[in-house]
Amino acid sequence: MNDLVVHLVLLFVISAAIVTIGVFFSHPDDDEAFKRLPRRLGVFLLGCAAVAALMTLIGLTTASLG
Amino acid sequence: MPVPQRRKQAGDPNVAAILTWFLPGGGHFYLGRMRTGILGFVAVWGLYWLGLELSDGMGFEFLNKELRGPFAPALAPELGNLSGLLWQSRTYGFGPGFPRVFPEHVNLGVMCTACSGILNIFLMIKAHADASHLEEPGLGQVSLSLACLFAWIVPGGGHCLQGRKKRGLVVFILLTGLLVLGTWLSEGSNLDRQRHFYYWGGQLMGGMPVIALEQLFGQPVVNHEIKYAEAGLVLACLAGLLNILAILDVYGWGERSALKGMSVKSDKGRSSVTAKEAS
Repeated sequence: MNDLVVHLVLLFVISAAIVTIGVFFSHPDDDEAFKRLPRRLGVFLLGCAAVAALMTLIGLTTASLG
Repeated sequence: MPVPQRRKQAGDPNVAAILTWFLPGGGHFYLGRMRTGILGFVAVWGLYWLGLELSDGMGFEFLNKELRGPFAPALAPELGNLSGLLWQSRTYGFGPGFPRVFPEHVNLGVMCTACSGILNIFLMIKAHADASHLEEPGLGQVSLSLACLFAWIVPGGGHCLQGRKKRGLVVFILLTGLLVLGTWLSEGSNLDRQRHFYYWGGQLMGGMPVIALEQLFGQPVVNHEIKYAEAGLVLACLAGLLNILAILDVYGWGERSALKGMSVKSDKGRSSVTAKEAS
């Protein structure tokens, strides 16, 4: 399988675990926690994408080895 | 909303917890609960002593030379049992300074010393809860420290013990799944304290599934490149660290329930006194 796909799948799996345990910790009520889960997961993944994009940009410009 | 009426504390909960950290059972001696204190001391220190015997005290010799320093062992799970950690550091330290052959049961030994540290953390929780009367019977919940201990032994187990089965099942599937996935990706090389001293400590917070996986697939002979070894190691370690958050969730919920139980109890007590006065 494509290496990038494997890494994206692993990122999704680990993000799901982090966000789920995080939302459980901040919301004692199960229904409330499950309701907030999709939005939180989306925000987390978008945040990860933004950090990855920023790091790629820095790698190609100011921290470029070339 | 009724304000929980706390009973007079048996002692300062923070002092009880800190004393237990310094000496297993110390917090209970301070609270006057000698039997619990002695039992706690024997269980926690007995496990540490067994670990030292099995490993000849060579656990910290797993650390690479460049990582050795006065505070290096303080990031290990043994920190939970401070007296044990200090004893091992002073008596055995990092060994004579040259590589030696490890004894046959060294891995089992270091597992025992690490588990002793983790067990003492739950004894600290018990001392704190006992000092605050949070574990008294009749508060409508299982013992707080027992639920936390169970949450460590089986991820999600503490939630189930508290009656939150749906949440417990999700936590179990997610965390145990991450551990298994991580072990599969790194072909068991993550389950070796000699290779990954600190990551191993993080993984151990995953409880019994980690211990079982290490007994089945741990310390493998690696004679080829493992493509996703590092990804697997991070996944498995993160599962253990996330279980700490799950244990804190169990603690928080249990503490709230106990305070609620206290409030109901004190309300009942007050209303019965008022009824007596009226009659």
